[in-house]
Amino acid sequence: MSISTLFENYSEYRHIHPVDDVPHNPYKWAMAIDLDACSGCNACSVACYAENNLPVVGREKFAHGQAMHWMRIERYWDEDGREFPDQGARFLPMMCQQCEAAPCETVCPVGATNHTPDGINSQIYNRCIGSRYCSANCPYKVRYFNWWDYPTTDNVWPAEMNQQLNPDVTVRGKGVMEKCTFCIQRVTVAKNDAKTQGRLVRDGEVQTACQQACPTSAITFGNLVDPNSTVHRKWQAQQVELDKDEQTKDMAEGGSELRGYRIYEQLRPFPSVMYMERVRESAI
Amino acid sequence: MKDIREDIAWAQINKDVLKSLENPRKLYWVILFIAIAMVGVAVGCEVYQYNVGLGVGNFDNPHVWGLYIATFIFWIGMSHSGTLLSAILHLMHADWRKPIYRFAEAMTTFSLMTAGLFVAVHLGRVWQIYFALPYPNMRQVWPNFQSPLLWDAMAIFTYLSSSILFLYVGMIPDLAICRDNMHPGWRKKLYTAIALGWEGTDRQWRNFRITYLTIACFLIPLAVSVHSIVASDFAMSQQPGWHITSFPPYFVAGALYSGCAAIITLFIILRYVFKFEEYMTMSILKKIVRLTFAISMVWTYLNLVEYATVWYGHDEAAKHLLIQKATGTYAPFWWTMNFCGSVVPFIMFFKRFQTHIPVMFSVSLLLNLGMWLERWMIVSPTFADGYYPWTWDHDQWPSFVQWGIVFGSFGWFTMLFMIFCKIFPSVSMYEVKEMVYHRSQATKKLQATGKLAATGKGAH
Amino acid sequence: MMNSDFDRRDFLKVLGWGGASVALAGCGNGMVENGKETVVSYVETNDYMIPSISVYFNSTCAQCDAGCSITGRIREGRVLKLEGNPESAINRGKTCGLGQAGVQNHYNPDRVRSPLLRTGDSGEAITWEKAYALIGEKMHGVSGDEVAFLTGGMSGHLKVLLGNYLDSIGCKNHVVYEAIAPAVVRAANKKSYGVEMPRININRAKVVLSFGADFLGAWVSPVHFSQQYAQFRKGVDGQRGVLVQIESKMTITGANADRWLVVRPGTEGILAFGIINALGTQGLKLSADIAAAVKAYDKERVSKDTGVSAEQIDKIAALLKARTPSLVLAGGAAEGYAHGSQNAAAINLLNHVLGNVGKTIEAAAVVPFPQMEPATGNTAALKKLNDDLAAGKYKVLFSYAANPVFTAPGAMKFKENMAKAGFKVVFAQYLDETALQADLVLPLNSPLEDWGTQVPEYMAEGAQINILQPLMEKLHPETSGMGDILLALIKQRRAEDYKKFDDYYSYLRTALLQNKVALGGAGNADDDVFWNETLSRGIIKLPGATHAALSGKSAVAGLSLPAPASIDAQYPLQLIPSVNASLRDGRNTNQPWLQESPDPMTTIVWDSWMEIHPSKAAELGISEGDIVEVAGKNGSVKVQAYLFSGIHPDAISIPLGRGHEALGRYAKGYGVNPFQILDVVFDKETGELALHETRVKISKTGERVIVVKDEGPVGGRQMGQKIAPKLPSDKVNLSGEI
Repeated sequence: MSISTLFENYSEYRHIHPVDDVPHNPYKWAMAIDLDACSGCNACSVACYAENNLPVVGREKFAHGQAMHWMRIERYWDEDGREFPDQGARFLPMMCQQCEAAPCETVCPVGATNHTPDGINSQIYNRCIGSRYCSANCPYKVRYFNWWDYPTTDNVWPAEMNQQLNPDVTVRGKGVMEKCTFCIQRVTVAKNDAKTQGRLVRDGEVQTACQQACPTSAITFGNLVDPNSTVHRKWQAQQVELDKDEQTKDMAEGGSELRGYRIYEQLRPFPSVMYMERVRESAI
Repeated sequence: MKDIREDIAWAQINKDVLKSLENPRKLYWVILFIAIAMVGVAVGCEVYQYNVGLGVGNFDNPHVWGLYIATFIFWIGMSHSGTLLSAILHLMHADWRKPIYRFAEAMTTFSLMTAGLFVAVHLGRVWQIYFALPYPNMRQVWPNFQSPLLWDAMAIFTYLSSSILFLYVGMIPDLAICRDNMHPGWRKKLYTAIALGWEGTDRQWRNFRITYLTIACFLIPLAVSVHSIVASDFAMSQQPGWHITSFPPYFVAGALYSGCAAIITLFIILRYVFKFEEYMTMSILKKIVRLTFAISMVWTYLNLVEYATVWYGHDEAAKHLLIQKATGTYAPFWWTMNFCGSVVPFIMFFKRFQTHIPVMFSVSLLLNLGMWLERWMIVSPTFADGYYPWTWDHDQWPSFVQWGIVFGSFGWFTMLFMIFCKIFPSVSMYEVKEMVYHRSQATKKLQATGKLAATGKGAH
Repeated sequence: MMNSDFDRRDFLKVLGWGGASVALAGCGNGMVENGKETVVSYVETNDYMIPSISVYFNSTCAQCDAGCSITGRIREGRVLKLEGNPESAINRGKTCGLGQAGVQNHYNPDRVRSPLLRTGDSGEAITWEKAYALIGEKMHGVSGDEVAFLTGGMSGHLKVLLGNYLDSIGCKNHVVYEAIAPAVVRAANKKSYGVEMPRININRAKVVLSFGADFLGAWVSPVHFSQQYAQFRKGVDGQRGVLVQIESKMTITGANADRWLVVRPGTEGILAFGIINALGTQGLKLSADIAAAVKAYDKERVSKDTGVSAEQIDKIAALLKARTPSLVLAGGAAEGYAHGSQNAAAINLLNHVLGNVGKTIEAAAVVPFPQMEPATGNTAALKKLNDDLAAGKYKVLFSYAANPVFTAPGAMKFKENMAKAGFKVVFAQYLDETALQADLVLPLNSPLEDWGTQVPEYMAEGAQINILQPLMEKLHPETSGMGDILLALIKQRRAEDYKKFDDYYSYLRTALLQNKVALGGAGNADDDVFWNETLSRGIIKLPGATHAALSGKSAVAGLSLPAPASIDAQYPLQLIPSVNASLRDGRNTNQPWLQESPDPMTTIVWDSWMEIHPSKAAELGISEGDIVEVAGKNGSVKVQAYLFSGIHPDAISIPLGRGHEALGRYAKGYGVNPFQILDVVFDKETGELALHETRVKISKTGERVIVVKDEGPVGGRQMGQKIAPKLPSDKVNLSGEI
């Protein structure tokens, strides 16, 4: 991009996703999370720590709200004032929703967070100057800032513990923003493997760390463009469309009998994560 | 009411003003010393924060912005009054502005410089700040032109450079006076260099007038745009409490408001410190106070408009936030902000207080306290009660590092300002002369037509 | 993501001498500058090690005893991450958070790095030779009766070797102690079904009625049950499974229930009888003895005793009757009483009544090598050891994989009694509370750098033996595997018999190869091929393993349930020590991922807390963050309060696992240890410690803290937004789901 293209056809470099003119091809990574299966056990979160070199911040910093859990499990209660939570709790794994029209992307002054052709909301640590505007504009608050220099902080990665660090993932220093990447390091490996073999990534060939760990297989990850992928079929079965800010099924009278929904669809970020509502037996 | 004497000799004006470059009252040194000490605090905090990380400011996720951004807006806002007095009133031919516009203009420049520092202080990786500049590079990596923060950087930079230019150009005739009257020394050399050989020829005056007017015209839209763009940082986002259409005018009104209040404060200080009683007269004070009162009402109106649109709108999150502001953790600050911003200015409504220096001094400080709180109340509550209830955070409280840097920024501004006033004439000599001349001409004219009693009441 | 390019030849090289002497360059274990490491050039590297290419080895997770198979990702000689091994029927490629943290156990900075000998109050590093010599010296002339060997649950060849060692010294005092184990349920199962650990098929049940069995959290084999649960939710014959959980303090399983019923602590058995009674009323045919036994338990009385409404009892009975097969489980919350066995038996009776035995409860496969079967234990065994220690019976005490100083009730005074043993040897990875009391501490390898076999107590499908193999070089040169230590000790007695085994690896290899055919190998298979294939799989599946039929009868004879305990005026509240899925009995507390992984129910991290029902809290004027003193007959702890509606108002709950005074930097000083204040009450039949029998009173200390937790100030409320909605099952159409 030179100065002239900057002024002439800047829009070619900046798509507002989801777009019709340049649809994602051949990959659009997306997720489906079945909240009826999710037991809230936190295995996904720990797996994320292991895979993505997340620092353990310790009690003091956690108390200050500086935890770095890219994947957090939220626990909600029924809010009808019952004495006992006799229909249990509701767990929600919340991580970056990889929005197609991500509020974080447009506001970053240096373009450190932007959209990949695969539909992942990427974060370039080297480019980040730490203005934190992205986090300020994130409706889900799933972006985590390095308030401290964790690699040099005592007891974050003391000797030996640092040998566990995943060499495929950068260890972030102070002053940069980070968040869930859909385990892009795994995606990249799978894509490269597929490319050298002259094919596309097969469904199930790449798993995110959280998905791989999840004991109840509540998390499905895959290529939404591939009509045979599990994630695509799940989205289709739930009649959730990526580029809608309100789903047709929800506009029907009496609502829908399907469980699929996306959080804050009405804000038009077009998130890439579809949740499936928790079900509770009505006979008991 | 006593105003500038119309029969004052031009040489006397020179002498009085130039005296301010020589021996101010002792209070000057006290203020300067305190200001430098305050800067010391801020530098200490910043060094600590730079080395350890922003965590020392006690930010958290998602409460990622705090006092730095709030104070940044405050200082940007502060800068507007200079432009108002020097450019807008210049175009409107309000001649009472003449003795005070110079320091107001200086205030613009220095508050912008202070605001600029907050951009750096706020960044997580300030050493990479140049990434935000659109500099040509081989890798063809550009900043993101969609980001209001980038517009911000550009707007501030443009405004700052224009303001410096405006301040400097307006000073040239005075610098020549300094050059001609100073004893030999480093200052004389300085004035000689920067007076650019001004001799006061007709041709120079003609060029000067055109240049000055052009920059003034250029500056006015800039001033409006710069704070509109700062408002865009919020209005362009998608967060409750920020995503409000009326933010740009609201911000501009707030900016003028806090700027005018600051002018009152500095007016009172300068008047005493540099013994400018002769020039910064009560009549001028009265006019600024009235102007400030008018702007305060504009601000109050826009503030109420904001509340009303939120209240009658259908955005539940924004409404919840407004209720939280009024009843939650931030309620004391929010009510103080409304009180200082909308109730306190009514003191200025009363004539006898308009020229009452201790009262006006306190009022102007309260107004600015209110305006600073306003900025904080725009920034922080949105993090404490945004969209996502799981991450709501009502306990976040800025640490001493944040407070220290904010505190020190006032010292930094005061320090720059005081040094400026000591080195450069803070009252525009040539414009005061013009004013006196025009007034005496007008008086003569009136006296000749017998329409004015010989009491010497000032024009306008 | 197994790397398919990886072949057996590579394995041979790793294992042929991988365990021995190959210096792995790039490990970062030592500084090259110091000259401590041999520099191996990547230009001519070992061909199983390609820079930047990961290799994967299968092993077994040792974080708990469930026996999940894991696949370690190894790059440049370092294990980086553990994933589930899809081949295992137990975890099918899945892991829990605890399992994920296995690498932090391995790389933990607080591991013991060399043998330590107590000199006064401090430890002195000594050599292994000296350590063995010292043990030999101390054991000299000591009769087998004067030696006790305390271990946690153990199985496989390590158990065999230990048995052989104890034989060699003529010792019969192998004490197996597991602080948190379903010991009462095992005994009740043995009675009801004829086996201690039958196979449970949650995935085949249409209704699961669980009396405090936290099968999604910390009960028996949670990863396996979680998968069954997911299938159960997806539906059995197109009908979504219904989970009803009955307990006094909500566990993570309770949080996932369709109906969670709070029950007065200790009345689980009464409720089970009440449900049987209601089933009878609703027309289910009951045998005469059962009908007679439950006759008195009409729903009004049961409702009064248990606090569960009569209407709810009817609903449950109706549901159980309408939807078969179902599954009834008894778990920790039901067994933790003096009448725990009766509770468990009454609950198991429901399965007989509902005809679930043989359908959703089946006989589990068994490993045909009884000597390798897991040795399970309970507190009864510890009590005897403790009494014997107090009597000064033992001259030498060995302790492995148990931390009784931390986990035994404080009133048992185990620490003081332990001091009475003449010479105490603790095999430990960390200087935990028990190791601190030792005279000699022998540093162990982490499970990721050790050899072994493991037989899980709960067999998922076919019987299997799990293989442990090193995933990387030892981190610390001076640590040793438990098997190697036992081998060395046994050689002190029977050098001749064991001389051909240089180390535990060769012992293990020989042992497995000897039994090649029984272990599923072809009779004519090459030893190396069999061995390498076994290691490559990480599991030995035993195809011919027999299923013992369930033999238990629905006998109700001798089953009598006590009336609900009346409230003690002095100590009005019941203390429920809760078992957190990742911290459990506290052995893993020094793994920071687990400390920072929020408790699923309260989202609290890095600290202990006391759960109290909001109505009780209001009565006592307690609000969140108040530091309260929880005092029982045997001491008190001070802990922060957390208001939690998922608990019976007459009970409070403090999680186990925290409150270490030792163990390491991430564990020491965080939280309190409720083990220390437990009342020493035992189950009348099994002698197991009744964990839930402690009565306490609480009082405010006046101090307050901000509770460190993940949830925000509005707690679990969604503030009217659609974030985590739920649908009633009659409003949802699951038929088209993928």
